[in-house]
Amino acid sequence: MLGFWEVMDRCDRGPLQKEKQYDMQIARTAREQAVAFDIRFDPESVIPDDDDLADRLYRAAVAFFVENGVYCRDTGRLVRFSRREVEEAVKNAPRSITYGQGKDTAVMTSRKVEDAKPPFITMTPVGTPVAEERFVAMMQSFVQEPLAQTFSSAFSQTVNGRAIKAGSPQETEAAIWNVIKLREAARRAGRPYIGIHNLVTNAEATDATLAAMQPAFGVLPNDGLGIAAISELKVDYERLKKVVFCRHSGHHTYGLYGPLLGGFAGGVETTAIIHVAHHFLGLLMYDAQWHCGFPLHLHYGCNSSRDLLWLIAVTSQALSRNTHSPISVSPFSAAGPCTDMVVHEMCAISIAASVSGANLLACAPARNRHPERGTGMEARICAEAGHLVARQRLTRTEANRVVKSVLGLYEDKLDDAPLGLGLSECYDLDRLQPTREYVELYERIKEQMGNLGMDYSLL
Amino acid sequence: MGTILEEIISATVDGDEEKSVALARQAMADGMEPFEVIQNGYARGMKIVGEKFATLEYFLPEVMLSADAMTAAIEVLKPYFKDRGKQDSRGTIVIATIQGDMHDLGKNIVKIMLEADGFVVHDLGANVPVRDLIDKAEAVQADIIAASAILTTTMAHMPDISSILDELGMRDRYMIMLGGAPVIPQWAREVGADGYGEDASEAVAVARRLMHKKRGGE
Repeated sequence: MLGFWEVMDRCDRGPLQKEKQYDMQIARTAREQAVAFDIRFDPESVIPDDDDLADRLYRAAVAFFVENGVYCRDTGRLVRFSRREVEEAVKNAPRSITYGQGKDTAVMTSRKVEDAKPPFITMTPVGTPVAEERFVAMMQSFVQEPLAQTFSSAFSQTVNGRAIKAGSPQETEAAIWNVIKLREAARRAGRPYIGIHNLVTNAEATDATLAAMQPAFGVLPNDGLGIAAISELKVDYERLKKVVFCRHSGHHTYGLYGPLLGGFAGGVETTAIIHVAHHFLGLLMYDAQWHCGFPLHLHYGCNSSRDLLWLIAVTSQALSRNTHSPISVSPFSAAGPCTDMVVHEMCAISIAASVSGANLLACAPARNRHPERGTGMEARICAEAGHLVARQRLTRTEANRVVKSVLGLYEDKLDDAPLGLGLSECYDLDRLQPTREYVELYERIKEQMGNLGMDYSLL
Repeated sequence: MGTILEEIISATVDGDEEKSVALARQAMADGMEPFEVIQNGYARGMKIVGEKFATLEYFLPEVMLSADAMTAAIEVLKPYFKDRGKQDSRGTIVIATIQGDMHDLGKNIVKIMLEADGFVVHDLGANVPVRDLIDKAEAVQADIIAASAILTTTMAHMPDISSILDELGMRDRYMIMLGGAPVIPQWAREVGADGYGEDASEAVAVARRLMHKKRGGE
């Protein structure tokens, strides 16, 4: 099996290529495979019930990845892999990852399509900005959720009153502060040893990230880092340095892949192929023990649109049918907290992902960009929908019917989605519980979902 | 076969660089006015491309092919611009992804759309310190300084554009335009930006508005 340093050698010795040329060819190469393997989006089949399509998509992604390779931006070289190397990496990939300690221990594994095993739930507001004084409260609202098995961070807009500037000493300070505060939130929630799947989300620089990963700050030996690929299928030294550190420190790593539908990845079929291919990048270059996808729509900035739901379903099915790697999907909604639409969007994405064999990384309301627009309640909504899919043994056909009905409730509002309420408006910050308004709103939508066939009494 | 302008529109929409360049040469040989050719040919083609991109009938690679086709044609037309000053372009923009941030996809899309709309764009790439942006703006006598960030930590460098320009006594020389995933309009205003672009097409509209304002309009 190919070793990490052999791969790094390829970053130094692979064929030279201009980045623009690489960007221009990627969708074209994927398109050839989409045609060869007959990958077609059917807007009526949002959650396809077609094993052969899933398997063809997987084979298309392998063929594409072998032909396309990965682009290393620091060396301007292509890193190429043979089919056999890809297959070996898939065969030898980790099957499970253990986070946390003691009673907070949680084991993430892969799932099958239409699996009765509930999805593993990682909870996080995915870097949603929050005022410093409310950071711990926001994080506690996630980690206290009963279905949370690991958690990760919001983004404090300041640390000790100062803005966090990338590359500055303040970034290192902020990264350390972030880790300390995350563990504090866990302790306050009575889950002192719960795993943190992504320790540092407020620092880009490697030195700041690594400075924060110390036991003295509350970091557990099996906490981890998420390492993102650059769009599309690109790596750079900053990310690879973090991989090297985690190889030696023993911290878990997972790959984060966010191909953009409409960008260099092209349309929905080619973006699906490229998305699956990112998982091979994660295995071969990031030592990724699991994989998290957050494919996004270029214009909407979320993944609750019809085409993205199809992409999430079909790529999850392709991976869960053909690999034993744990995979996860990160729902991004257009709407913000305490709106009907956010509940609808989160349910649709969670159902599409869960029935297709994915775990859930919940979640990014209001496209994770609007201050304070992220609470534990949206993560609960995602997690409960995902658990129900498993507990009810929902089939893809049934899920497709439910999701299409839900989609009809918000599809035409994606362009102008309501931002909803901030944490302090939809949570009682003293008790750290959602307001009655938010609870009642969720209960009302649950009833609506119940009429579509989702049995919330099973929770 | 349609008129030469119709053919130019079609070649631009198709991203056919070879044909686009040949048509530019033919238009000049026929004695056409170069700005008329750009305005009613290439720019109209790019407008159609922009519309197709907005509905995802076209994806980014197609937009880039069309922009390349237009840019190559404009190179052919340049020698025919007689005594035309800066007023003939929509304006000059210096653009970059801000310091610490290697993500340049969004910035590249905005750059392509701005160029397609007739702006002269100087792209400094990714991970660019604010001082480098300002120095370049001075060097090329830019009208607009545009910056993008995809990370909340790198976004924190953006307020420096306005404050450093203030310190240098140069704030009134430039319009500032900000964008990128974590940037929202209210924050952009608070840190001294004159304009904010939610996406590439809004960025173009905002850049036009800022140029109008800079050239004395309201």
